[in-house]
Amino acid sequence: MAAKQAIQVGTKIVKPVLSTNHAEARLRVLSLYKAWYRQIPYIVKEFDIPKSENQCREKLKELFMTNKDVTDIRVIDLLVIKGQMELQESVNMWKQKGHIMAYFKPTEEPKPKGFLSKFFNSNE
Amino acid sequence: MSYLLKRALGAGCSMGRNVLNNAKSPMIQRIVTKTEQAAPQEETRPTVAKVDPLQKSQLVDFGKYVAECMPKYVQKVQLTAGNELEVLVPPEGVLPVLQFLKDHHTAQFTNLVDIAGMDVPNRQYRFEIIYNLLSLRYNSRIRVKTYTDELTPIESANDVFKAANWYEREIWDMFGVFFANHPDLRRILTDYGFEGHPFRKDFPLSGYVEVRYDDEQKRVVVEPLELAQEFRRFELSAPWEQFPNFRSNPASEEIINPGDDKTKQ
Amino acid sequence: MFQVIRRAASLPKTHLLKSAPAFSTCPVRFDNDVYNRKEAPKIDNETVLSLPEEARHNAALESTITVPAKVDLTPISGVPPEHIKSRRVRIYQPAKNAMQSGTNNINHWEMEFDNRQRWENPLMGWTSSGDPLSNMKVQFRNPEEAIEHCEKNGWCWYIDTPKIEKPMKPKSYGVNFSWNRRTRVSTK
Repeated sequence: MAAKQAIQVGTKIVKPVLSTNHAEARLRVLSLYKAWYRQIPYIVKEFDIPKSENQCREKLKELFMTNKDVTDIRVIDLLVIKGQMELQESVNMWKQKGHIMAYFKPTEEPKPKGFLSKFFNSNE
Repeated sequence: MSYLLKRALGAGCSMGRNVLNNAKSPMIQRIVTKTEQAAPQEETRPTVAKVDPLQKSQLVDFGKYVAECMPKYVQKVQLTAGNELEVLVPPEGVLPVLQFLKDHHTAQFTNLVDIAGMDVPNRQYRFEIIYNLLSLRYNSRIRVKTYTDELTPIESANDVFKAANWYEREIWDMFGVFFANHPDLRRILTDYGFEGHPFRKDFPLSGYVEVRYDDEQKRVVVEPLELAQEFRRFELSAPWEQFPNFRSNPASEEIINPGDDKTKQ
Repeated sequence: MFQVIRRAASLPKTHLLKSAPAFSTCPVRFDNDVYNRKEAPKIDNETVLSLPEEARHNAALESTITVPAKVDLTPISGVPPEHIKSRRVRIYQPAKNAMQSGTNNINHWEMEFDNRQRWENPLMGWTSSGDPLSNMKVQFRNPEEAIEHCEKNGWCWYIDTPKIEKPMKPKSYGVNFSWNRRTRVSTK
């Protein structure tokens, strides 16, 4: 009944997605970060979002740092690919204001954490 | 006078018809009974689709020919539904096999009709990528199947078939299979900023987020899903075995499996 | 005849072969067979035109890399993190229908998530839910596959093993009247 975690050890040989080693993957992540960072002033201006550049940079850092513990090279590559596609969508203005603001989640209320707040929310 | 004549003529006509009918009907009846007596056999294959033996033998021959020409890549050739030829290849063999089928003089499968994906989560390589090809020259179709998982890239078929461009984008969007060397791989069906791949079996029917127009924000906002009425869980699978008589009939008919031959030798 | 050709090919320096016109019955051209080559081998355009960096990249993609066997797909699966960390997956075998139905639909394993809070909708009195994963059910052939799937997606799982069925005793009405059992309680 108890929850278990199966332990898989060892390595396997696979096809790379883009990078062949960690240094290369790291380089890709950094260059993607820089590209987003440089795009932020234009995003703020062109999409006319009610956020400052600093807030956007903080958000960018937060989003990148959520995946800081990823070690698998292929997963890093796919994250970079997805980030690259999002950047392309922002640069070409395929996205709209709402899509950019979706990163900030303006209307979501934080979930109640403690017992009392949950109780007042009639959640438990 | 003329009226009488007409009636007489009409009667004659009808009489003649009767005579003809009488003369005809026993003959027809006899013929029918003859055929019934000649063929009292029982229907053994109660299927709607009829299998054309000539077409089938041609497909089998062509399947063997493909397996002979590309022994390195063709893992298995099979017939499904009686007349659909399928070539099963590993991921690295997709491009060579597609190129062969397109350019070979006796194949000329120059049209890529569709690329489909399939998700079977209990397999090690959970996705199947299926290429449907059409040869206008020989009026025939063939299917090339390969497999992959979430992290293994598949070589893009865009260099061989330009039609693969959008189909591969679709599969990337719906299943999350990455196509290497694709000229313009990006989302095609989902909304910008959408996360996840909806055709995966472990993607919930409702999705994770809902979108609405917010009056205060004056724009569309994305929020976590909240269902006013929870989905009811219906048990739709039948508890009875549907076709016990066809239990031994496999879905696909194997033509050639080079791996088996090698192990036998 | 093939043997002759093969023997000839195995002796490439013979004068016979040098003078013989290059012909081959094989659809594959062997690049190392210098004497049978009429012209310089063709290299496809992209390889010639590619920059050294691109060429290096393409060569790298041909190679393979070594990664740890344990794969964690949580960053790219698109599942919101709150549904990964705080959820528990139950892996179970579906139960037989309690009626006299058949058992053809219970010979597999399924995974489902723990129940999240539901509430009564004030508008119509419906049961509302904020749990998108409540309508997800994936089937597997055996529990190992389900476990592997959960591991890949970072879900915490447990197996709900089915209780062992009681073996059914065959019963017979006639036993009640057996001569050597004391089942008859009447005076006769």
